[in-house]
Amino acid sequence: MRVSGLLSTRSRTLLALAWIAVLALLAWVIARQLQPSGDLREFMPRGQTPMQKLVLDELGEGPGSRLLLLALSGQPPDQLADLSKGLAAALRKDGRYTQVVNGDFDAGSLDPKLLPYRYLLSPTLDEQRLDTDYLADQLQQRVQDLGSPAGAMLEDLLPRDPTLELLTIAERWQPANMPPLHDGVWVSPDDGALLLVQTRAPGFDPTAQQQAIDGIQTALHALPGGDKATLTFSGPGYFSVVLGQQTQGEADQIGKVSSIGFILLVLLAYRSVGSLLLGALPVVSGALAGIGMLLLWFPSVHGITLAFGFTLLGVAQEYPLRVLSHRRAGEDALVSVRSLWPVLLTAIASACIAYLAFYASGVGGLQQLAVFTITGLLVAGLTTRYLLPRLLPPRVRDVADMSWLQRARAMFDRLPRPRWLPWLVAVTTVVMLVLAPGPFWQNDLAALTPLPKDLMQRDMRMRAALGAPDVRYLLVLQAADAQGVLRLSEQLEPEIVRLQQAKALDSAELPSRYLPSEQTQRARQQRLPDRATLEETLQQVQRDLPFKADTFTAFLDDVQTAREGPLLDVATFAGNPLGERLGTMLRQRDGKALGLVTLSGVHDPAAVEALARRHGASVQLLDLKASAESLVVGYRVRILQALVAATVLLVLTIVFALRSVRRAWHVLAPMTLATFLVLAVERMAGIEISLFHLVALILAAGLGLHYALFFEHDSGDPAEQRRILHATLVCVISALLVFGMFALSTIPVLRAIGLTVSLGVLFHFCLSTLMAPHVPAPEEST
Amino acid sequence: MQTSFVEVRDSRLLKEPLRVSGEYRRPDAATLVREVRSPYTETTTIRDGQASIERSGKTRTFALSRVPELAGLQASFGALLAGDRAALEKMYDMRVEGTRAHWTLTMLPRDRQLASRIRQVALFGRGAELRCVETTPGKGSEIQRTLMASAARDAASAKDGPALAALCKGG
Repeated sequence: MRVSGLLSTRSRTLLALAWIAVLALLAWVIARQLQPSGDLREFMPRGQTPMQKLVLDELGEGPGSRLLLLALSGQPPDQLADLSKGLAAALRKDGRYTQVVNGDFDAGSLDPKLLPYRYLLSPTLDEQRLDTDYLADQLQQRVQDLGSPAGAMLEDLLPRDPTLELLTIAERWQPANMPPLHDGVWVSPDDGALLLVQTRAPGFDPTAQQQAIDGIQTALHALPGGDKATLTFSGPGYFSVVLGQQTQGEADQIGKVSSIGFILLVLLAYRSVGSLLLGALPVVSGALAGIGMLLLWFPSVHGITLAFGFTLLGVAQEYPLRVLSHRRAGEDALVSVRSLWPVLLTAIASACIAYLAFYASGVGGLQQLAVFTITGLLVAGLTTRYLLPRLLPPRVRDVADMSWLQRARAMFDRLPRPRWLPWLVAVTTVVMLVLAPGPFWQNDLAALTPLPKDLMQRDMRMRAALGAPDVRYLLVLQAADAQGVLRLSEQLEPEIVRLQQAKALDSAELPSRYLPSEQTQRARQQRLPDRATLEETLQQVQRDLPFKADTFTAFLDDVQTAREGPLLDVATFAGNPLGERLGTMLRQRDGKALGLVTLSGVHDPAAVEALARRHGASVQLLDLKASAESLVVGYRVRILQALVAATVLLVLTIVFALRSVRRAWHVLAPMTLATFLVLAVERMAGIEISLFHLVALILAAGLGLHYALFFEHDSGDPAEQRRILHATLVCVISALLVFGMFALSTIPVLRAIGLTVSLGVLFHFCLSTLMAPHVPAPEEST
Repeated sequence: MQTSFVEVRDSRLLKEPLRVSGEYRRPDAATLVREVRSPYTETTTIRDGQASIERSGKTRTFALSRVPELAGLQASFGALLAGDRAALEKMYDMRVEGTRAHWTLTMLPRDRQLASRIRQVALFGRGAELRCVETTPGKGSEIQRTLMASAARDAASAKDGPALAALCKGG
């Protein structure tokens, strides 16, 4: 028995404790620094064209993505109306919500100081002057209004606004489709009281959206009777929160089951708790090193990276398992590792090359994943090589002696290994790929969401009832400056009205509806009469009317203010809901001004497209769904290119490591076949291949590479062969534990990864087994 | 059925109360038509939760939910004339005073929205004839009066507010 290199029990314990202490320190430092971000856009490719960049911005930040639709039900309409008013009042005071609309015409949205300027905002002056004929007709109508049963409503408004401009503006600002009013707020017979809330937080940030939703619920419960009503949410922000919770819940469950299963498996395989604990150390070291590297390299770490990264590190758990399986009785673990190391190193190097493909993709989240995994694998591998063997006790159960293993290996050796098998598999794979039903690539991001159908339908219903904007279509106006955008918007107004009449479109939120261009405002201003003229006109008109003489003084004052005052611009509306609305509609980008027009109820996209084309490049219809899909396609092309490059590198590495093309072939052939076989089987099942399937294929190939390398390494020593089989079986079962659980998940992304990796592991194992060069065990001498 | 009416509406903006006369008609159970003939012409048709006001060729339509007063009008007239006590009881708290020959029916709206606009509606009648409807608005003190049938005919002679009020209550 060699003594050098073999540490005493005390030294080993000290070394183990020192290692654990270092890990604990590292974990503590990381826990203090780590704040995982939730912005899903880090996992989307960077836009290349200006339009793509705009799409990405809009998906996360646009007006549509920040809108939450609320419904209050379960109480009589009076109570619901009260709750709606109370909730709106509370939310308007809260800085997290930029806009709350519930049906009451918020005359507060027109600042009292700005009331005189209604003459600049209202389109009346475009057609009419405030001359004798017009005023006579209007005042006569007001008399008749006073004579009607509903006259009391107008009494307060009349002296100031006899031509009812305020009501004209109110009508312009209301959405086209409105739920019925009850007690001044929207209460629909089916859904209850309805509200629209715009959050300050962008739609793509689930954490902030969760806070916004919690805030609304707290505000409701603070109201008297608020607990008795049922609050329902809908909208992109809400969906991202639901998704997040669902994913979290499932991931937790899977984690628990797999961890327990893994512990049981290792205990069964090695019959030693010590092996379990020591075997965990390199993996934990790898994980912590990976996170540490992320914190050093990137400004923020994404939550999804961490989640994915741990599954990818599932590859790393192989290294300690291999060492544990290869120990021989009476042999220093260091010696076993040394003999194992060349293969192990090749495996680590190949895995790292494969994950470099992620780095080359140029997507923030995937680059983080690459850095995390490569660092983790390297650290796990190196600690397995240099630290772990020193900790393992010399007395060990040699797995080669396990009786079930001997039987298993015998069975393994007896398996038929026809030479024509690879060709059969290859041909079958090609046939399956050719005959597979349905499209090959999954481009539709919506298919990846696990949201139940009734949630989506409820969203459509509420959106239609509220006249809330479509999330899919956006009309983009481009001009040199904001005034140019407003002028363009005014040009579009009559055409939009025509589309509305033809039922191609329900409504469009044109910025000029709220703020006319300076040109238009100036024209209206100039049509206003001066005070003297207006006084004279009024006197003339009032001769035949029953109004008291000085009734309309306030009116005279307002017209004068509007005539002499400054023109309105976006800054005038700052700080009130109208300002917020305008702010989301008018943007600056790359030195140009953009107007974003949200559309509701697009029934005929082609007609809207035709409208856009008539104005050339300055008006464009953005189909967010189509743009997102084209982003996905571009993304996929880049990843596939990176994969091809990685494959070439991989082949070269393996050939170099094994120093023989023939040996490399024995390793690469089963791996390639198995990968395509997984693809073919999934296609035959009608599954469309998405990016997540590609990611999973890479992971499975990484695992399969290890199996193939070790089977190829067959030295002919039966005990060694048994050990290799033992290690491989344990790795396969542990991989199936985790990814088999994923495959059962309700979330399409997790299901895709789980199914692909599980199938991959099985096929890689089988094909490596059947295609590796087989040296039959010589007759064992007794 | 149809009945002529005289309405007197007062407002702080007017020099004197506005005196409107015309005809109420019910072409069918679900429709109420208020046709004003003097001092201007206007026809209001209330049906199906919508009110249409037609003046010199131009018609404006809007939902009754936006103008609760009109909704109340439709319901109360309809129920009154159809004699549908149950429907009326649902909408109003009712009190009857006087004799069959000379009665007063006071209705207080139950619906909060309506009550904020109309505090009470008082009906005065003789026998089978409804003579006058007095509406007290939620805010403001000017009571609006609608005189009908025989009271409307007599109203031609009454020249000022107090005289009309007396006529309404049952002269």
